Amino acid sequence: MTTFDPLQVRRTVLRMAYAGSTVHIGCAFSIVELLTVLYRSHLRFDGHDPRATGRDYLVLSKGHGVMAQYACLHESGCLSAEEMQRYFGDGTRLKGLADAHVPGIEATTGSLGHGLSVAAGLALGAKLGKTDQRCYTVVGDGEINEGTIWEAMLFAAQFRLDNLFVLVDKNGFQAMGTTDEVIALGDVGGKFAAFGCDVAKVDGHDEGQIDAALVSMKAMQNGRPKVIVANTVKGKGVSFMENDNRWHYTRLDAGTYAAAMAELEGAA
Amino acid sequence: MRTAFSDAIVAAAETDSRVLMLTGDHGYALFDPFRKRCPAQYINCGIAEQNMVGVAAGLAKAGFRPVVYGLAAFVPLRVLEQIKIDVCYEDLPVIFVGDGAGFVYSHLGTSHQSTEDIACTRALPGLTVLSPSDRYEVTAAMQLAFESKGPVYLRLGKSDRGDVHTGPVSFAAGELLQVRSGSGRVAVLATGSMVRTAVDIVDGGLVADVWSVPSIKPLDRGALEAICAEAESLIVMEEHSVHGGLGSVIAELVAGLSRPVRVCRIGVNDRFSRYCGTYDYLLREHELDAASVARRIAAFGVAAA
Repeated sequence: MTTFDPLQVRRTVLRMAYAGSTVHIGCAFSIVELLTVLYRSHLRFDGHDPRATGRDYLVLSKGHGVMAQYACLHESGCLSAEEMQRYFGDGTRLKGLADAHVPGIEATTGSLGHGLSVAAGLALGAKLGKTDQRCYTVVGDGEINEGTIWEAMLFAAQFRLDNLFVLVDKNGFQAMGTTDEVIALGDVGGKFAAFGCDVAKVDGHDEGQIDAALVSMKAMQNGRPKVIVANTVKGKGVSFMENDNRWHYTRLDAGTYAAAMAELEGAA
Repeated sequence: MRTAFSDAIVAAAETDSRVLMLTGDHGYALFDPFRKRCPAQYINCGIAEQNMVGVAAGLAKAGFRPVVYGLAAFVPLRVLEQIKIDVCYEDLPVIFVGDGAGFVYSHLGTSHQSTEDIACTRALPGLTVLSPSDRYEVTAAMQLAFESKGPVYLRLGKSDRGDVHTGPVSFAAGELLQVRSGSGRVAVLATGSMVRTAVDIVDGGLVADVWSVPSIKPLDRGALEAICAEAESLIVMEEHSVHGGLGSVIAELVAGLSRPVRVCRIGVNDRFSRYCGTYDYLLREHELDAASVARRIAAFGVAAA
């Protein structure tokens, strides 16, 4: 039975990262609960028919967290165990950033500030087509340095896209340091509210809070785009990765892999 | 040309409700007929071109046929990365219209002039690049664009220099259109506004075939080989940089031929406009007016009859 268990998802991410000797582990760990709640309870998405007409869309605008989405797509039946195990092998299609040629991935991101605009277009398409589709998108707090994020929010408010749900992964870090050190964001929720959005704030690792915010915001069909500011921990789930930005770049070795996996298995 | 463009998008939108017109708050008056007849299909995205292209990608994924309109200096240049990643990588059927290409906005300066857009767009895999020379070619280009299953960039330059053709034309992707016949020894290949200039020079006495090249990418290699089977000299003319534009396309193709053909590339010589003035002034400054072009052709060693 598919449960989208966050621990299982983190273990899958860790196995992929080790198999592929890849980076961005911390970026993936901070969005695990946001994705598991979406896939388990909200996203109308069939992993066996990922392009189905009428599906809800999930655009991972912060493409750097894509391993967490691969893990969820694996649980959905979209990606095989073999494909996950061969991560980063020559000639494989699962790349280090989200890529729309992969089944279940809606937009090619990683160049930051692109996905939200594409998501706004999908949401507008649903409105124009008079469907009840929703479009969810996950943006990073570092990513909202990009001017296009704010272009997209102005647009979404103007075109009354209350079917657009923006989940801000507010883990407080970006590539070179904390968000306060690099480009201080101030009141993130207040900024989105000033752009005409309904804003909720949640603990981004509390599935109950995430779910409750989505449930209540889906009921608010008032023309205003929805923003959930999720306070998260970069590297969440493995003690020595949490709030340590080196895990934006560091690759696992046998020792760190075993130590991290022991924590994720011990917590089960 | 702009009327032909307006007529084409109104006709397309009226026959297909999936056609949407997106503008970055540009095109005053141009879209009046569209807004009047297809108001639900008109989307002013505001002065935010990058977002507009992302939105167009989303709309195309959702089954719509977006036409994205802007000045060529902004669409495609400012939004090149969005065109590459959001649209071309997935081969989405989005039509980009870059208006005022070349030196049309002669008084406004470098920010609004565009002489590098062909070079940038033709490097993007899967993107068709069209550059019509008159209203008849605009109509044909729009038809081709709407029939395309992938993305298209339509370059609109100076629009009031007089028609090249005497009536409606049609062309397939890659096709060249012959507009004057000479001896076959010299062929002029021109695109956009410079086709009219080429015709004027030939009508003034230069013995040469004149071909309009409305489809810069793809460009039919076989058609060019047929021209080069007879021609000793090719003269390429464009209101665009000599780096990466039609002249480069032709030179690249000719380089693969077994029979040597000389190529004279006439375009903008790797520099910005320093001063402002009328459109005709800027053409003279860049040596793209008819008299300067004739001089450059003579300097290349091709003399008028």
